[in-house]
Amino acid sequence: MITLEALQKFGADTGKGLAVCMGNEALYLRLVDSVPSEKKFDDLSNAIEAGNLDAAFEAAHALKGVLGNLSLTPLFEKTSEITELLRSRTNADYKGLVAELIRERDALAALRD
Amino acid sequence: MMNRMLRNVRAKRKVLVVEDERINREILGNILASDYDVIFAEDGQQAVDVLREEADSVSLILLDLMMPVMNGEEVLKVCREDRELSRIPVIVMTQDEDAEVSSIRAGADDFIKKPYSMPEVILARCERLIELYEKKELIDSAETDPLTGLYTRDFFFEYIRQMEKYSDTEMDAVVMDIEHFHLINEIYGHSEGDQILRKIASTITAELGENYGIACRSAADTFYIFYAATSEGDTLVDRILEEMSTVSFQSAKIRLRVGINKHVNRLDPPEQWFDHAKLACDGLRGDYTHRVAYYDRAAHDRQLYHERLIRDMDSSIEHKDFVVFFQPKYGIDGDKPVLRSAEALIRWKHPELGMISPGDFIPLFEGNGLVQKLDRYVWEEAASQIAHWKDRFGVAVPVSVNVSRIDIFDPDLEDRLLGILQKNGLTTGDLLLEITESAYSDSADRLIEVVNNLRDRGFQIEMDDFGSGYSSLNMLTTIPIDVLKMDMKFVRNMLKDDKSLKLCELVMDISRFLDVPVVAEGVEEQAQLDRLKSMGCQIIQGYYFSKPLPADQFEELLENSGDFSAKNR
Repeated sequence: MITLEALQKFGADTGKGLAVCMGNEALYLRLVDSVPSEKKFDDLSNAIEAGNLDAAFEAAHALKGVLGNLSLTPLFEKTSEITELLRSRTNADYKGLVAELIRERDALAALRD
Repeated sequence: MMNRMLRNVRAKRKVLVVEDERINREILGNILASDYDVIFAEDGQQAVDVLREEADSVSLILLDLMMPVMNGEEVLKVCREDRELSRIPVIVMTQDEDAEVSSIRAGADDFIKKPYSMPEVILARCERLIELYEKKELIDSAETDPLTGLYTRDFFFEYIRQMEKYSDTEMDAVVMDIEHFHLINEIYGHSEGDQILRKIASTITAELGENYGIACRSAADTFYIFYAATSEGDTLVDRILEEMSTVSFQSAKIRLRVGINKHVNRLDPPEQWFDHAKLACDGLRGDYTHRVAYYDRAAHDRQLYHERLIRDMDSSIEHKDFVVFFQPKYGIDGDKPVLRSAEALIRWKHPELGMISPGDFIPLFEGNGLVQKLDRYVWEEAASQIAHWKDRFGVAVPVSVNVSRIDIFDPDLEDRLLGILQKNGLTTGDLLLEITESAYSDSADRLIEVVNNLRDRGFQIEMDDFGSGYSSLNMLTTIPIDVLKMDMKFVRNMLKDDKSLKLCELVMDISRFLDVPVVAEGVEEQAQLDRLKSMGCQIIQGYYFSKPLPADQFEELLENSGDFSAKNR
C-alpha cells in the first residue's frame, strides 16, 4: 500500500493532492494507487509507436490533467513536457521521453510494495 | 415552475459532471458530494442522453472539453440550442487558456482550470452560478404570463420604459378585451376560456412578428399592445380581428373590443397611455356595431373638466362663487319701454378656472340632477335681492327663476318656495317660475299637478323656450300657464329667414289663443323690437335694452329708470 510518506519521497506534492481530495487520505491514496494501471499510458506509448501524434497528444493531455490533479509532480512534469511538444508537433525524441515517463510510472507502482 | 422552486428549497441541487477521466470524476465527485447530488457522464454523447432524461432536475453542468465520442464544445452547442437545456448553467473545465475564448463564444458561463484549484473555489463557483441562474429563472417566470406566454403587466411597462429610452418612434397603445368574458368562462368552462385567451395571445404575437412592439396580458381578458404607429390605418388591429373572426372555438362565439390611443402622448406616463386606450375600449361596452374605438383626447379633457365642475360645485355654492345676475325685461305695450321685471341668470366665478359660461355647466348639472342645488341657491339669492330692493326702494321687482325638471319631482317644492318667500317677507307675486316644456314630455301628469298647485298658491308660471320643444300643442291644452317665453332662436333669426318669422307669428297667435302675454328673449336690434311690437309682443328681454347685470348695476338701473311705481310687471 502506498503511503503519504513514500509519495513525498517520490516527489509528489501530497499536501496539494490531499487538499484537492478534501483531505480524504483514503481517497487520495486509492486514486494514486490506480494511476500506474491507467490505460492512457499504454495509449500514449502505442500512439508514439504508431507515429500518430494526434492520438498521442490526446492521451498525454488527458494524463497531464489527472496527474496534475493528484499532484504527482515527477509524472506531471514529464507529461507536461510531452504534451507541450506534441501540441506544437515539435520534432522530438518522443520514444525516449515516453520511456522516461513509463519509468516514473513504474517507480510509482513500486511504491506499492 | 412551482415544483422546481419547491425542490430547490428542499433538496440538494443536482450537478452533472461530464468527464472522461475516471480519476477526475472521482475527485470532482468527492468535492461536490457534500453540497450536491452528483451524476456523471463519461463522454459528450452520454451527457446529452442524460440531459434529455433529466434536464428538468439538473442545476449545473461541469463539462470537460476534450473527450472522445462527442467533445465538450459539441455538448455546449446542443445545450445552447435547446430551449429546455439552455436554462442550465455550464462550467467548462479545461487545462488550456486558449479554449476559454471559444467556450465563451459557445455559451459557457464559467471556467475551472485543470489541475483543479482549491475545492473551496470550485464549490463557490458552482454555488454562485446556480444561484444566479435560479434568480434569473424566477425573474423569467415573473416576466411572462404562464397561460399565454405574453409579458406580465409589470414587465410590460418596465420594457416600455426601456424602449422609450432609446426610441422616439411614434407609438400606439392598444387595449383589447372580450365582451362578456366572464360569461364565457361560466357557460363554457374555464378551459374553453383559457383556450380563447391563448389563441388571442398567439395571434397578437404572430401579427406583431418582427415589428417594433410588445404585448402583455394585463388582467383576465385584457390585452395590451404597444407598437410602432402605422400610417396606413390600424393594420395590426385589423389583422388580429380578422384572424380571430376566422377562429371558431368549441362553442363560444367571442366578440373582441379594441380601444386605440394613437400616437401616445409622451408627456403622460405609459400607464396612462393604456388607461386612455382602455377608456376608448370600455366605451364599446354593449356596442354591437363597432369593434374599434379611438381615444379622443378632447372628449376626455372635456370629461375631466366636467368631473372637476361636479366636484367643485358644492364648495362654490358654499363660498358663493355662483353669482346671480339680473337681466331686465321691458314692457313695450305703452309709448315707451318700461322696466317691468327681471330674469335671474347664474354666473360661476370659479376661484381657479375663472368665469365659467352657464353653457358649460347648466346642461351638465341638468343631466345629472345637480341643477336642483343650483336652482335652490338661485331662488334664495334672488329672493333676498328682491327683498333688499323692496326694502331700499319700496318697489317690488318680480324676478323669474328657473324650476328645473328635477324640481318638479321634489315633493317639498311648494313648501320650499313658500318658505323662501316667507323668510324674505315676499309674496308669490315676487318670484316668477320658469319651467321648460321639455319637463312636460316625460312627466306630464306630475308637471300638471305641480303647476296647478303652484298657481293655486298664487305663483305665476312662465313657459321657457317655448317652441323649441316637442309637445307644445298637446301640452298647451292641458297645462295652465301665465306667460310664454319665445325661444330666442326664433327672435335671433326672425329677420334673417322667413321660417323663423313665421314661427314668431305662430307663437304670438298661440299666446292670443291662450290669452297670455309673450316675452321675447334675445332681442338685440331696434328692427327686431319693432317687428315684435307690431306682432303684439308685450315684453322684451335682450341686449337691445341690457345684458344681464350684477345686482349692484341692476340697482342703479332701478334708481335711474323711475319706471317702478308700486305696480308690477
